[in-house]
Amino acid sequence: MVKKRTPTPSHTVGPFFPARFFGEGDYDLTFVDDPAKRAQGQKIYIGGNIYEAERVPRWNCMVEIWQPDAGGCFNHPNDPRHSHADPNFMGWGRRSSDDAGWYDFVTVKPGGYTDPLTGFRRAPHIDVAIMSSGLMRRLVTTLFFPDEPANAEDPVFNAIPEADVRERLILKPAKLEGAPADATAYRLDIVLQGDGETPFFVD
Amino acid sequence: MTTPNFFEAYDEPSQPVIRIAQYRESLLRSPSRPPYKRPVTLTEITGPLNLARKLKTGMNDLSRVNNGARAMGQLIWVTGRLLDEDGMPVRGSVIELWQANAAGRYAHKADSQNPAPHDPNFLGSGRCLTDQEGRYAFLSIKPGAYPVPNHAARWWRPPHIHFSIFGEGFMSRLITQMYFPGEPLNAADLLLNAVPDEKGRERLVAKWIPMMQLERADAVGFEHDLVVRGHRATPMGF
Ligand SMILES: [Fe+2]
Repeated sequence: MVKKRTPTPSHTVGPFFPARFFGEGDYDLTFVDDPAKRAQGQKIYIGGNIYEAERVPRWNCMVEIWQPDAGGCFNHPNDPRHSHADPNFMGWGRRSSDDAGWYDFVTVKPGGYTDPLTGFRRAPHIDVAIMSSGLMRRLVTTLFFPDEPANAEDPVFNAIPEADVRERLILKPAKLEGAPADATAYRLDIVLQGDGETPFFVD
Repeated sequence: MTTPNFFEAYDEPSQPVIRIAQYRESLLRSPSRPPYKRPVTLTEITGPLNLARKLKTGMNDLSRVNNGARAMGQLIWVTGRLLDEDGMPVRGSVIELWQANAAGRYAHKADSQNPAPHDPNFLGSGRCLTDQEGRYAFLSIKPGAYPVPNHAARWWRPPHIHFSIFGEGFMSRLITQMYFPGEPLNAADLLLNAVPDEKGRERLVAKWIPMMQLERADAVGFEHDLVVRGHRATPMGF
């Protein structure tokens, strides 16, 4: 007999998440724990500013990402193709926005996949969660890539009916200082509130 | 199916409201537009299962730093189980926790306006893995209350411990706080009371473990189960 439980209520992460919990390699998804063993795929760099209301840069935001590997697989039993997953790719990263409100990640470009639950074709995408003081619940959204024909069919991208709003989730090719020389760089600013507000999804 | 494969939106009254009038940051950082509904796909029902390869664990003893002198304050033993919505243990999952010292001060640069003293023997953060029963345990110091400054309505945060929990899918990720039973400040805390449902608030308050039920006699024991989202679409036991 299964005992049904109700999830523990969420709370804000507050301003005091320990700095020592952000490890050096946590924002670099191109390896797991051995830098000599690299994930397969095209190396990419993603960076941007996080803004609160009135375009004030928000430092001390916790940003986490989750994505499939270059072949569109997850190393997780819910993925029927998990045995094909890249052993040198975990798909998870974490970063704190710095004093100027900048966040960034080094990763590989995710592959698209056909969703086994819904049959939808998912375009390459990266799930993002934002946690901050003031946010009693995390904010979740998904980033997409430019010039991807698959975006037109993606059920999450198209869950936003306004074309100009869903456009805000498309990474923009950019020259960025922190990008490794061998990575394709993209910028995406995240606006928590106000003009150009980032669309978020029901969590 | 070994892991939860079904994740539903939260039951609203058991989760906190998003905007809290006297909590200014909640007004400045919450989106002005309602979130969009999206279908849940494989990306949302999967998540990192081997996080210990990235995040160093085995940091269960917050009561001292590098085997140095013991931190100031009342020793506490905080333990509990990490469960999913089926009541099944979540094993080998990373639990992170952090808290103020006995005087109510965090070892964090953002806590610069707080006049309460630092304790050189207390970092106030730990990380561990849940065991085969989904159990975690930490030895620590009872955190002090602290005032929230710079607000139209100043208030005291009651003693609490912050938790960061991963579970087995990106949708089971949970950031929460644990409160202590019988604390008078609990009744006036803006964050605890942002949860509309009384049962929801009760889920955030730890239970005191009677001394005779605790193997150790040096620390006050508290039991606190944590439940993350996710259950199995196929009923178990069939
Ligand atoms: Fe706190």
